[in-house]
Amino acid sequence: MSFHPQMPYGTPQWHRSERVLADEGPPFAFTPENRQKLEEIASHYPPERRVSAVLPALYLVQEQQTHLTGNAMAHVAEVIGCSRAHVEDVASYYVMFFTKPVGKYVLQVCRTLACALNGAEHVTAELCRQLGVAPGGTDAAGEFTVMEMECLGACDRAPVVMVNNEHWHECQSPEAIQALIRDLREKGVAALTGCHHTKE
Amino acid sequence: MEKVTFTIDGRQVSVAKGTTVLQAAIEHGIQIPYYCYHPGLGVDGSCRVCLVKIEKMPKLQVSCSVVATEGMVVDTRSPEVVEARAGVFEFLLINHPLDCPVCDKGGECPLQDFSYAFGRKESRMEFPRRTFDGEGVRADVDFGPTLMLNRNRCIMCTRCARFMRDVAGDEQIGIIDRGYGSEIATFREEGVHSVLSGNLMDVCPVGAITTRDYRFKSRPWDNPNAVDTICTGCEKGCNITVWIKAKPEWAKGSQLARITPRYNADVNQYWMCDIGRFGYHWVEGAERLSAPLVRKADGALEATTWDAALKALADRLGRADWGGVRFALSAHASHEEMFALGRLAMALVGDAAQSSIGVGWNVSAKPQAGATRFTVPDVDAPNVGGARAFGLVEGERPTPTVASLRAEVEAGRVKALYVLDPGPAGAIGDLSWAVAARKDGRLPLLIAQGPVATDVTRAADIVLPGCAWVEKDASYANMQGRLQAASQGILPPGDARDDWRILADVAAALGVPLGYDSAHEVRQAIAATLGSEPAVAGIAALEFRRPAPAATWLQASNPMERLKWDFLFQDVLPLKFENTRDPGHRAGEKT
Amino acid sequence: MRLPEPVLTPHVKKPHGHTLEHYLQTGGYQALRKALALTPDQVIEQVKQSGLRGRGGAGFPTGMKWGFVPKDSPKPKYLCVNADESEPGTFKDHVLMERNPHLLFEGCVIACRSIGAKVAYIYIRGEFYHVQRVLEAELEKARAAGYVGKNILGSGVDCDIWVHRGAGAYEAGEESALLESLEGKRAQPRLRPPFPAVVGLYGCPTIINNVETICNVPVIFDRGAEWFASIGPEKNTGPKLYCISGHVARPGVYETSMDVTLRELIYDYAGGIPGGRALKAVIPGGSSVNVLTPEALDAQASFDGLVKAGSMLGSAAIMVMDETTDMVWAATNLIHFYKHESCGKCTPCREGSDWMHKVLQKILRGEGSMRDIDLLLGIANNIGGKTLCPFGDAEIAPVVGMLQHFRGEFEHYVREGRSLVPLAPWRAREPAGAHAH
Repeated sequence: MSFHPQMPYGTPQWHRSERVLADEGPPFAFTPENRQKLEEIASHYPPERRVSAVLPALYLVQEQQTHLTGNAMAHVAEVIGCSRAHVEDVASYYVMFFTKPVGKYVLQVCRTLACALNGAEHVTAELCRQLGVAPGGTDAAGEFTVMEMECLGACDRAPVVMVNNEHWHECQSPEAIQALIRDLREKGVAALTGCHHTKE
Repeated sequence: MEKVTFTIDGRQVSVAKGTTVLQAAIEHGIQIPYYCYHPGLGVDGSCRVCLVKIEKMPKLQVSCSVVATEGMVVDTRSPEVVEARAGVFEFLLINHPLDCPVCDKGGECPLQDFSYAFGRKESRMEFPRRTFDGEGVRADVDFGPTLMLNRNRCIMCTRCARFMRDVAGDEQIGIIDRGYGSEIATFREEGVHSVLSGNLMDVCPVGAITTRDYRFKSRPWDNPNAVDTICTGCEKGCNITVWIKAKPEWAKGSQLARITPRYNADVNQYWMCDIGRFGYHWVEGAERLSAPLVRKADGALEATTWDAALKALADRLGRADWGGVRFALSAHASHEEMFALGRLAMALVGDAAQSSIGVGWNVSAKPQAGATRFTVPDVDAPNVGGARAFGLVEGERPTPTVASLRAEVEAGRVKALYVLDPGPAGAIGDLSWAVAARKDGRLPLLIAQGPVATDVTRAADIVLPGCAWVEKDASYANMQGRLQAASQGILPPGDARDDWRILADVAAALGVPLGYDSAHEVRQAIAATLGSEPAVAGIAALEFRRPAPAATWLQASNPMERLKWDFLFQDVLPLKFENTRDPGHRAGEKT
Repeated sequence: MRLPEPVLTPHVKKPHGHTLEHYLQTGGYQALRKALALTPDQVIEQVKQSGLRGRGGAGFPTGMKWGFVPKDSPKPKYLCVNADESEPGTFKDHVLMERNPHLLFEGCVIACRSIGAKVAYIYIRGEFYHVQRVLEAELEKARAAGYVGKNILGSGVDCDIWVHRGAGAYEAGEESALLESLEGKRAQPRLRPPFPAVVGLYGCPTIINNVETICNVPVIFDRGAEWFASIGPEKNTGPKLYCISGHVARPGVYETSMDVTLRELIYDYAGGIPGGRALKAVIPGGSSVNVLTPEALDAQASFDGLVKAGSMLGSAAIMVMDETTDMVWAATNLIHFYKHESCGKCTPCREGSDWMHKVLQKILRGEGSMRDIDLLLGIANNIGGKTLCPFGDAEIAPVVGMLQHFRGEFEHYVREGRSLVPLAPWRAREPAGAHAH
């Protein structure tokens, strides 16, 4: 790799950064369906602006394998036609991209003022207590991850819990947590109340 | 050019239309600090230290992004500006480790200097600093083959990321995380792999990106002399500054401390490649030749004096053999050397002189992104343009001709081969055929002139030690046909001599003196012979620089930066800006 | 005139109120027909006459904004709908998009045509995936019915609408950061000038409007600019959605006009404070505006009325805090939000948000000093007005406003090491996650 003969790369005297990297992960490629979905989304933008589709591409990775890995980001860069550093840059900026493994259900509790005024602190505390994790952590079984999120935009239904970036559970209370965990285990995301009036 | 006139700090300044307030201030030596702006990278508006007050605008403005208009009134020293600017410096320093004593940037650091001039006298921060990879130099981590990264020192000006994206055309550096946790990073810590990587050290306004080459090598105040010259690594001819170390220790070590690019709008803008920047170590390397060598009867090369070597050369090269002399000339040779060699060839070979000279150089493709705005040429020699001007090679894109001598040499028809290669080892291209022919006797005499020991000098009968480019005044024509002067920065080692003089000495020893007493006379002769040739036009009037005290660090990296340093070091107010502060204006602080 | 009936949200409670069928049954897409009969300049003129001001926060006149698009530019033009509703306390666009998506599409097509854009992007915040699904399903129907897409209603006008999903970044709601994000980069603001109307998305002229702003456009053509201008006080015209949350009996989105007062909104619309507790503070326009005390309750909840009261209408997100609220805690909660959401591009915001958060945490732990209170103001002073985008001014509002009205609570923490108000039942004794940040 080095073009400087007097500067060999990777010699032990230069230590590596302690930055926590996304794991490299298994080899990654989009499934044909996801690749097709991505091409459909990319067609919404001018052809020379394909990089606009980098966020949708990262979402598709998460649909395919729950979190972003080094190989997945490299694949996105290749498919989108931008540098790998750019993909990592973007992926690290947005909070809804997970660069480390998460549980099957990511419970994202709003912590901002309107939810906090309605007891969000209790909801988080109770979730953490029952699952035996700290905020940001994943339980031993790899089933649940508890995250604190900033304002989710449903303050009239405070406190709000979002699950896996897309399913909503509203008007939570500490007392309802046990049932929430049980229902998720038994019925999956179908157990959630949904947001506003989408449930008809 | 259309001009606008406006006022900064009560001074009328006149600048080209479209100039920003910051650019105008820099041009006129008015002190406004800046980090994210760089003349080669454009305006980003993110560091916020170039705040100024502009009349009729309610808020303070960042001067980098305000285009000067006719009659505008700008104030850089009002209490409001001083206070706000000091506030931004306080923010910049709350997490910057004050590890200046172990930082390569210390002493020539814009954060140090601007903080000194514009910052608060103390910080109100009482919490531990943010650290990424430990404290102090422990945080210097791998950033590719040439660089080190210290993320603690980074102030997020993003010049490096913008350089890679906009100039190198290869977005290898991104920002990771956001807000307070933002940091500069390459994909999965792979590091920067680019032939332009050294420029990242130049653009970094703090010690976050440093080069391994310069790491702990010298303090800026130990490099008091610098010479403005050009790089001869390839046919681009980047304008550079060579920094010369002057502590007493230098006698034991190398004098060349580092090489940095120097602004030339038409050649290299603000940049240079790593090959030129880091590839200079051969100049003071172990292979340098410091005395003439002559092969003794027992076959060993022996160091000797110039008189003895020149006499040996005259003895070995009988007059009857002159017509059979051939010349292998490296395109690393300067105009002066090519011209002197041509004169020598005419004296020896006569009318066939032109065809007796083969010119050689290397060609190598550099790994660069297609979108790069700074292309490093394939031709690894500085003076193919000169060889063409002297009629030694032909065509728009000439190819090396040295191999045309091969058949003659291998057939045993050449009496003597004179090799002139002032470049690094092997710069002339492949001469293994000449070495082989000398060894098996088909070539009776091999004379080598150059600065370093190579396979050719090891096989030669007579070796004449020449100068590296930084040890002599010489002129070259780059790929644009632009005549440029390379100036002497340091003395050659031992008895090594300027190459044109060696050729003149050889001619004199053979009894056909060229008649030049100085390089200037050679240039005058070139002008008289070839004056109309664009690649040499004006050569007699060419000016050479001398190592000058770098009273201002980074003096030569580019004129814009130079201005900055000039005014900072000559004009720092001893009382800082405290005296302009209104004590009652310091909101939120008890004194 | 007070808004007689909801016009933006009349059918939100109906199960199928969001469908194309229902929209058409209730007179939908008639405004589009009317607007298509006018020239683009006439459309802009009507919008100007209506007095419509942007509902995203700044209250800039919409018609004037549209007029900034250079007509002679050969470049494509774009409309970007700012649906990155992320100002704490705001959820009106959420309801509009989820329950009345065709109103938005209709507004988009009218706006696009008036500025000469053929494409509109609805930049929706990542958390609203369920809303995106509603929008895309309804868009498909609108496209099939010829209200969106090529040759709309046979007029020869083309306008496509695409939904672009963000991924969790408050800063993406800032218009230039939204464009960056839409271009596939990190959501960081751009230097202005040039303004997006001239150099916006992909370097082309671009108009960025809030969802509610665009939803008001069909209303102007449906009911007439004159009618629109007659609603609410002068210069604060048209229907307005208010999001009321916090300590109120009936939190939710309420549609009325801007002659309404904060008192009416809190006590009449939202049912007042449960348990008969007293009101302590109200943030009238999302967390980025100054907090107000009960003395200001009779202020008119309009752009101009709230400026007069010392705050701003912002996104009309009214967060109500009753007497059990610890204001130092509330300020810390909001500063945590800003620290978390600061994009990190410019120095004062990146460094200052974290610093203020650390100082506030110190005070909250009972370890603060009086000097720390002054330091907070000092830091805020060094941020305000000195950042690249308005985020800097937004993030200091909770500190400056809370200190202005409730300095005593901060000083009590410093003197006594604890809160002036007893720990409210809705607060966990050990704030979960305090250690994790």
